[in-house]
Amino acid sequence: MTREETAMELDDDETAELSPMTLGVYYRRLFPHNAYYKWLNYNAPATSTEFTHREFSFTINDGIYLRYQSFKDMGEFQRELTRLSPSKIDIGAIFTAVPKHAKSLQPGVFRPVAKELVFDIDMTDYDEVRTCCQGGSICSKCWRLMVIAMHVLDRALREDFGFSQIMWVYSGRRGVHCWVCDERARQLDDAARKAVAGYLSIVRGGAEQGKKVNLSQRYSHHPHIARSIEIIEEYFEDVLLVDQEILLTRERWMKVLAALPDEELRKTLDAQWSRRPDRSSVEKWSEMVDIVEKRASKRGAKFALATFERDMMLQYAYPRLDENVTTHLNHLLKSPFCIHPKTGRVCTPIAHSQFDSFDPFAVPTLSQLLKEISGGNGDPAADKSQEQSQEQSQRSAKSFSSLVGYVDIFETFVASLSPSSNTHTSQSLEF
Amino acid sequence: MFSQNAPKREGGGFGDASAAPEVVRRSRYPTRLSVYADPPDLEVSIEEFEAFALDRLQVLRSIEDAQLRAKGEEDIRKRVNEALEKHLPLHTNRSKLPPRQLVAERRKDHVSHFILRLAFSRTEELRGWFLRYECALLKHRFKEADIAEKQELLAAAKLKLEHLSPAARETRLGNASLFYPPQEQLFEVDFERVLDLVSHLQVVLQGGRAFVPQSEVATLLLHEFRQRLTRALAVCAKALPQMGEDERLLPVLQNLSSQTARSEYQSTGAAGAVSADNVDALSSGFPLCMQHLHTQLLKDHHLRHGGRMQFGLFLKGIGLGLQEALVYWRRAFGNMTDDQFQKGYAYNIRHNYGMEGKRADYTPYSCHRIIMSNPPGPGDHHGCPFRHFSTDRLRAALHRDRLTDAEVREIAELAGAGHYQVACTRHLEVKMQHRKAQQQQTSDTETHISSIASPNQFFDLCIGDCKSNGSKQSHDRDVQPVAPTAAASLPPAGLQKGPAYSYS
Ligand code: SF4
Ligand SMILES: [Zn+2]
Repeated sequence: MTREETAMELDDDETAELSPMTLGVYYRRLFPHNAYYKWLNYNAPATSTEFTHREFSFTINDGIYLRYQSFKDMGEFQRELTRLSPSKIDIGAIFTAVPKHAKSLQPGVFRPVAKELVFDIDMTDYDEVRTCCQGGSICSKCWRLMVIAMHVLDRALREDFGFSQIMWVYSGRRGVHCWVCDERARQLDDAARKAVAGYLSIVRGGAEQGKKVNLSQRYSHHPHIARSIEIIEEYFEDVLLVDQEILLTRERWMKVLAALPDEELRKTLDAQWSRRPDRSSVEKWSEMVDIVEKRASKRGAKFALATFERDMMLQYAYPRLDENVTTHLNHLLKSPFCIHPKTGRVCTPIAHSQFDSFDPFAVPTLSQLLKEISGGNGDPAADKSQEQSQEQSQRSAKSFSSLVGYVDIFETFVASLSPSSNTHTSQSLEF
Repeated sequence: MFSQNAPKREGGGFGDASAAPEVVRRSRYPTRLSVYADPPDLEVSIEEFEAFALDRLQVLRSIEDAQLRAKGEEDIRKRVNEALEKHLPLHTNRSKLPPRQLVAERRKDHVSHFILRLAFSRTEELRGWFLRYECALLKHRFKEADIAEKQELLAAAKLKLEHLSPAARETRLGNASLFYPPQEQLFEVDFERVLDLVSHLQVVLQGGRAFVPQSEVATLLLHEFRQRLTRALAVCAKALPQMGEDERLLPVLQNLSSQTARSEYQSTGAAGAVSADNVDALSSGFPLCMQHLHTQLLKDHHLRHGGRMQFGLFLKGIGLGLQEALVYWRRAFGNMTDDQFQKGYAYNIRHNYGMEGKRADYTPYSCHRIIMSNPPGPGDHHGCPFRHFSTDRLRAALHRDRLTDAEVREIAELAGAGHYQVACTRHLEVKMQHRKAQQQQTSDTETHISSIASPNQFFDLCIGDCKSNGSKQSHDRDVQPVAPTAAASLPPAGLQKGPAYSYS
């Protein structure tokens, strides 16, 4: 298949559908307020400061940002959400005081104190790896790089850091977000977040650097590396060699060879492949591995040769994080169940058991959802007539739209959250 | 030292202290290095008080300087050692110096630490600065110390460590045990206590616990030191108001903490007139657009491309030379590795100075260009606040610049009617009037200036006015930074500076 056939440009195909009116319908009838509130209230019996002191930011109409939005309870949240119908919701930190009052407080009194540990993986960071698409587009081939990323990070967060309340969310366009909700994770300060991000970032270096993974041999015993390699091995041939054909053309194989720390081998392989360029990437890869292994076993060989295969697998398939998003307590991240402003797709949770089967192209768009709930004609005006039985319509809309499966995943996750140990109800701390 | 099941220390029990002359051993300072667990008896003359503290400050500033300007680890090490030798020497017990001198050196180290602790507890920014460089100093000294001294310091810190027995090592770690040298002693701690090691993948983690090799125990020491000093600084901050009763002490303390502010601005425009250190001090003379970019940069440690261009060329225009620009941006982008900075941003900065690419010498943007082209998108901070801010945000920004309600209303109205540059001009006039009023000059004469056409013109007029209008002293006061430049890389506590956003 050619690139044109497989790539799907997700840009701008839905933008026209996002209006305050259509969003209003979405927030009134489809948005899972209940579970959403329970999530950010961490299942506390009454509204806690985790919810009331949480910053939300809304983007409305023409890109106007409303920073420091906060809500005293679920009712107010629901009302404001419907009234303002934001085209984007960002979730920020929990502060020392109600964010709405931020402006009237002394600097220093108003500080961020907690937030989920979050990760953002964006397909554009894989542009030097993938050959099927570039920039904003994704296809089912390169999406599998995200699948690898989710497996690798999820297990590291659980096994190495001991976190268990982890939610993965499709960003609505070309990436995934990860929300680690354990209390210990929420309490981490910036320095600790930076350290976690550092631990999980293995691929380093800019575009002009050949070898981007540089770990000594003993790292093969480090559980994080050993486990990541184990996961990547399952996918590498299929995803990188067969689908991405990373050794297909000379331009591509030179990128791989650039990381080979042996001039002579580089020349040998280049000559060999130039003579038989039609050989598949799978064949070329195994030739390369063989020849490198042979050289590595010779006395006096460079250490880096022994780890070359391991490091190249990491370089091509290990998750690439946007570290900035992770390192700051005070950094906002797009909320689950937002509508992606460019694609119109809902940012839906991805169940742990479904990393491999999740299909970003099956995620409903706002216009699709509107058609479903209005019985096919998609006219938001029709919704008006039903206003009197709003609650009823909301319940039924939620239960038959194609969003329902994703809401289920979300509700199951939220139900599994344990309440915070130091939860304060809003009464006890309000001043 | 360690908890009960910890291994015995090597060597003869008393480490370096055993080598100390009798007088030193019996003194308050038997060991060279300290984690400053207990305060000194403050029997210090006021002259000594200030001199000690200034010397230590010199050292901390040299560390900051070295980290920003030095070429590589070895250079940093050399520079810091030189500064220590000059301002705060600490000799070992094995040196053949007279015991009295050894004790005097250690007392000075001890006393000066506590004075600065007090002086820098005043604001969050100062606390952050002090903490950062005291930790760097301890880290440096630990690295330079000999084994005996290291052990003494570890003992003094009373770290609580759980030691992993060889059997436990097998069962808990399995294959991962091979990650460490076979004979190396391992300790098990929460990963939050060894962030440096976690961040560089130097420890094995399991369920949130880190296995720390003996050779990396220094990381634990530093963590502990940082925690304790953070708490101690918070206590000091609360105690500080009561110190006001001692009239001799307070001005000295205040003077000390303001010492981090750097040399003053000399002239506008000429390349090299402004150094990386005084950008922050000059920001009070920036027009609103540049104030906003500056604030955001401090807050986020990052600016997107449009902002970097607009602000970078403005700084170039006020006289920030290429080398200083590289230092300034490197420091401002404090969260990124040197590598990321060199790869992603240094080129761009050199480009702006005509050192790369087309080698064109770029000039600062005019207001017209800022207002008319390349409007800011989400997450961008460039543009003109009079044009691109909502009325509410514009009002808030003007209020922050200490304008009165009536002035804010007037200016917001001008901006609302589309007279952006007129609004900006009015903003400058008002600022200048305020300054005159402060200097008790006649403020009833209205200040009128020609219309603002570029952010650099605004700055030149604003700073020029402040120079010609006051004595040198009042100038100094004006340029006195709101936040000390030393803290430029720390997140300021202000509210107005919004956090970064992420998009995908
Ligand atoms: S008018 Fe010019 S100087 Fe004033 S804020 Fe706008 S762009 Fe900056
Ligand atoms: Zn693709």
